[in-house]
Amino acid sequence: MARKAKRDLTIEQKLARGPIDLPFLALVMLLTGIGLITLLSASFPSAMYNLSPNVTDTGGDPLYYFIRQARFAAVGVVAMFIISRIDYQQFRWMSVFVLIGSIVLMLLVFVPGIGKTGGGATRWIKLGPVRFQPSEIAKVGIILFFAAGLSKRNSQLGPPPEKKWNRRTLLGRTCERLDRIGFLELIPYGAALVAVLGVIALQGHMSAMVLVVVAAGSVLFAAGIRLGWFAAGGALVGAALWFIITQTDYMAKRIQIWQDPTSDLQKGGYQPWQGRIAIGSGGLLGVGLGNSRQKYLFVPEEHNDYIFSIWCEEMGLVGAVVLMALFALLIIRGFWLALHARDRFGTLLIVGIMSLFAFQVFFNIGVVTGFLPPTGISLPFFSYGGTALMITLGEMGMVLSVSRQIAAPKAE
Amino acid sequence: MQDPKRTPRSRDHGRSNRSLFRRTIALMLALGIGLFIPLVGQLYKLQIVEHAQWEEKAAIQQTKSISVNANRGTIYDREGRTMAMSATVYKLILSPLDLYNSVEQEDYKDEAGKLDPDAYKQALYNRRKLIVDWLVETFDYDEDWLWKQMEKINNGWIELETEMEEEDAEKVRTFTSKNRITGLLYTTPSSKRYYPFSSVGSHVLGYLSKNKTSGDRKVGAQGIEAVYEDVLSGDLGRVVVSKNGAGGEMISGYETYFDAEDGCDVTLTLDERIQAMLEQTLEEGIETYDVQNGAFGLVINPKTGAVLAMASSPDFDPNSYSKILDEDLQQELAEVAAEKGEDSEEYGEAWKAAWDKQMRNRAIGDAYEPGSVFKPITVAMALEEGAVSLNDHFYCGGSLQQNGWPKPISCHKKAGHLDQDLTHVVMNSCNVGLMKIAEKLGGETMWKYFEDFGLFDKTGIDLNGELPQGIFWPGGEEYFTGPYGSTSVATSSFGQTFGISPLQMITAFAAVINGGHLLQPYLVQSIADGDGNTVFYHETTEVRQVVSEDTSNKVRGILEQVVSTKEGSGHNASQSGYRIGGKTGTSENIAIKNIDPDNDDVMCSFMGFAPADDPEVLALVVYDTPKRSAPKSNYTAAGTYISGGNIAAPMAGQLIGSILDYMGIERQYSGDELAGADTPMPKVTGQELTVAKGNLQKAGFECRTVGTGSIVQGQVPAAGASIPGGSTVVLYLGEDAPTEQVEVPSLAGLTPTQSKQKLEELGLFMRASGVVDFNDPDVVQASQSIDAGIMVSLGTVVEVRFVSSIDYGDHQ
Repeated sequence: MARKAKRDLTIEQKLARGPIDLPFLALVMLLTGIGLITLLSASFPSAMYNLSPNVTDTGGDPLYYFIRQARFAAVGVVAMFIISRIDYQQFRWMSVFVLIGSIVLMLLVFVPGIGKTGGGATRWIKLGPVRFQPSEIAKVGIILFFAAGLSKRNSQLGPPPEKKWNRRTLLGRTCERLDRIGFLELIPYGAALVAVLGVIALQGHMSAMVLVVVAAGSVLFAAGIRLGWFAAGGALVGAALWFIITQTDYMAKRIQIWQDPTSDLQKGGYQPWQGRIAIGSGGLLGVGLGNSRQKYLFVPEEHNDYIFSIWCEEMGLVGAVVLMALFALLIIRGFWLALHARDRFGTLLIVGIMSLFAFQVFFNIGVVTGFLPPTGISLPFFSYGGTALMITLGEMGMVLSVSRQIAAPKAE
Repeated sequence: MQDPKRTPRSRDHGRSNRSLFRRTIALMLALGIGLFIPLVGQLYKLQIVEHAQWEEKAAIQQTKSISVNANRGTIYDREGRTMAMSATVYKLILSPLDLYNSVEQEDYKDEAGKLDPDAYKQALYNRRKLIVDWLVETFDYDEDWLWKQMEKINNGWIELETEMEEEDAEKVRTFTSKNRITGLLYTTPSSKRYYPFSSVGSHVLGYLSKNKTSGDRKVGAQGIEAVYEDVLSGDLGRVVVSKNGAGGEMISGYETYFDAEDGCDVTLTLDERIQAMLEQTLEEGIETYDVQNGAFGLVINPKTGAVLAMASSPDFDPNSYSKILDEDLQQELAEVAAEKGEDSEEYGEAWKAAWDKQMRNRAIGDAYEPGSVFKPITVAMALEEGAVSLNDHFYCGGSLQQNGWPKPISCHKKAGHLDQDLTHVVMNSCNVGLMKIAEKLGGETMWKYFEDFGLFDKTGIDLNGELPQGIFWPGGEEYFTGPYGSTSVATSSFGQTFGISPLQMITAFAAVINGGHLLQPYLVQSIADGDGNTVFYHETTEVRQVVSEDTSNKVRGILEQVVSTKEGSGHNASQSGYRIGGKTGTSENIAIKNIDPDNDDVMCSFMGFAPADDPEVLALVVYDTPKRSAPKSNYTAAGTYISGGNIAAPMAGQLIGSILDYMGIERQYSGDELAGADTPMPKVTGQELTVAKGNLQKAGFECRTVGTGSIVQGQVPAAGASIPGGSTVVLYLGEDAPTEQVEVPSLAGLTPTQSKQKLEELGLFMRASGVVDFNDPDVVQASQSIDAGIMVSLGTVVEVRFVSSIDYGDHQ
């Protein structure tokens, strides 16, 4: 497809070819780089010992995980640039398809031969060499769907059209009241959210559900949904949590392990305990990059969910704070771009993506440091997982795409 | 959008955009900053506040420390003989778990992944059989038992052998490496303690065993091994190696070495030879006099407090301390086993009692009543206080009335010793005399001296198990010195009604004869570190001076009389050529008597020292309960009067003589004795009879002739043979000396003169020992070195020991 000459472009098209936000891109590339290096350091012992070849046969190659991740990172960066060149307005129409597609994929997980079980849960789809969690796509789908829908909200607000509801009937009066308190407009979002959560719940993927809820909630929050709904939703979630924590053994056990990992060192408590040993033994300055000892088969999943503990051990509190500062800068820059986005869709899209990102970082570090009860959430840019990395980079590409259309500040 | 009709909407639009802006900023601050604050807080807590604690936990799990054995120090006796030493041995370990896992099911699956169970079972069986067969063949294991072990597939550590010698371990290594099964059957180095002299000094040396806190390591459980555990064991070395979570090696790991420090070598004051002599003396006495409850003894250097020997019979072999060593005890156990069975509770209890008995060091741990052996201490007090002098006379009418006692306290000689001077009071072991001395001293003075002689304190010897507190009069000092204590004061003067440890007795006695110095007895002379540097040397430790040198000298003089004169109760301890002093004793078993007043067990003891003027050796020998020939009889079945003077004194005298010989202290013979000393036989064969007789006379021999003629053709003994002077040699005239052997006669009941005559008639010679008073009809043979009936060549010297057969009463 031959490119049109610049003069032939519409305003919209010209806008879409604006410069991407370099600070954001720089932070993304920096974190990707640091993430790869950390993964190399954290993963080489377990890759070398290759103690569970029936799960992942590394063949004893210490670089096994690193090379794979690097390959995905390269592909992901390319994908990021490609996505950043797409006019993000196109995402509006894509959103419904992404959402529905992701739900279908998540259901495919349960189809034998396609779905893949790992770590006791069926969450993966294996297509040829590619193995990924469709729930990752569902998160993006929800964000896109919410952003696209809610961006049009301001045009739908205001006094309703005359005679929208027939006040003579009870149904009509009820609907009018519901409409007034903003319930009706939430129905499609609520439906989409319930559908996605339902499917994820089938997979037993608690952490993904939490992330979907907080990402969707952030978009709803930014879109101007009445705070009352958040209070109500918060109360509902709180009640549910209270019920789960106090009434089920499963959560009670987790909470106990969280408070005192030594209570169950043989099973659930082992990983949190080892993670804390890794972090705690790092001290202020750490044992030095590459010198972690806890990565020698002590911390399970040391190149995955618990990679941050290895970073803390090697780089100490200073390194941990620097890394968190980079994450914070990326998040703040993302929100800065959201504030300057050309339209509400751009704003909400970035809010959704960056909220998802921020919560993922928060939950991962929170869990690894023992601030939050243990649950499996990977650390973006760091944890091993090619498709997850690619999807993260793709999301960053979306943010960059929005950044292209920000009008340059007028020269004074 | 700019439709003017929709103005309210535009307002809404602006309001909603402002809301969007505000809420996005709120989210930015909350997510970009707010979320990270608690995380930094948490990290600060883990990495700064709790850092040390986590670092320690990390270090513990990331390193494994392999202990490096430190060689346990050697224990030497005073002459440098090795009493205890450690050597490397091996444990033989079988791992049925690894064996089971070494045969992989995977190897017996066909392409479809189906297991061929028979092939797999056969392979497993073959591998097990390989090991079982070899072990049975090489080390004679029970095959069934081994197969049972093989079935324990959850067990990775079965110790087939704990103390395997290098030679056998090498066989194992060769076998396993040849068959590539090194992880299934293997040896690990371990350490074994050897006691080259077996049971000699066992109570002093102790033994090694595991205890609750030592884990897999054996530590000293008794004796020097226990007291000097820290010194002997050294410091275990460690290699700290980094390890990974699976226990393997960490690549780019690190190692830190902490050198093992070998234990120090300990040199004892104990002399293995003297120790063996003491133990021999105890055993011989137990056998000769049919002693029922064992015996114990001590030999010390009275000048320093150094313990030369310490023995308690029955004893044990530290190489296998869990076995009952004493034959009598074995027999008792066998009887219980035969009656009740080895699994019975009674047998278990009997075994435990027997074991406790053999492990008990009575020389320091038991309270015994010293009896008359204590009398010199009372005499020393009295001389020191000036209460009596050597010239004082004491009349013994056979008994003495004491205040507050229903009947007079009698002397062992009911007829009384009549008038005696102080020396004779001790020689006769006269209880009445001693009571009179005690009366002069008074309870308060005696109590003070009891304290000074250390009767109320531990001696402080470097050995565990010392008697913590003797048995004394209820009421203590107040009672003893008060109006009701006079009987106790009287009886304590001759060592009755209280119990102290034999070690306390001998240290107090040492103070009496060494110039008055109460010394702390000790067993370890010096300690040398692994490089041979002396790190400790024991200097003589004087607790206090109790009596003066003058008093001590007087008592030594009295005690020498006890042995050297015929009427002295210790005469049987005399050894020709040595000046020996001492005191006999026959006491009750106070521990039993306190429970059972009718008990008439007695302990026969003798405390002797030599040379009498300058003692180098002080020995105490106690036999517990020689068997009476009949109840109430005062004689053994062999007719020996049961007393210290007749039972313990001859044994102790012999012991002291041997020790002095061994120590190289020369016998100083008096005129008579000198004649009987060993002399080389000159060559007289071929000489004229008269010349020969002249030569023999010069050499100090008598002679008799056989045959006729004037030329000596043969002689017995041969030239150069060493026989006692004064012996009658045989000269053969006109015929050769016969070469056939003769039968040794029994000399039982004969006096020295009779014995000599009887032997010489047969062409044998006699070397006399013990009480060698040739002209005393009371002196009779006690033992002979070659038993009657044995055929020996002509000219053989038979050693004959004589004792005085007078009944030496020294009972309380």
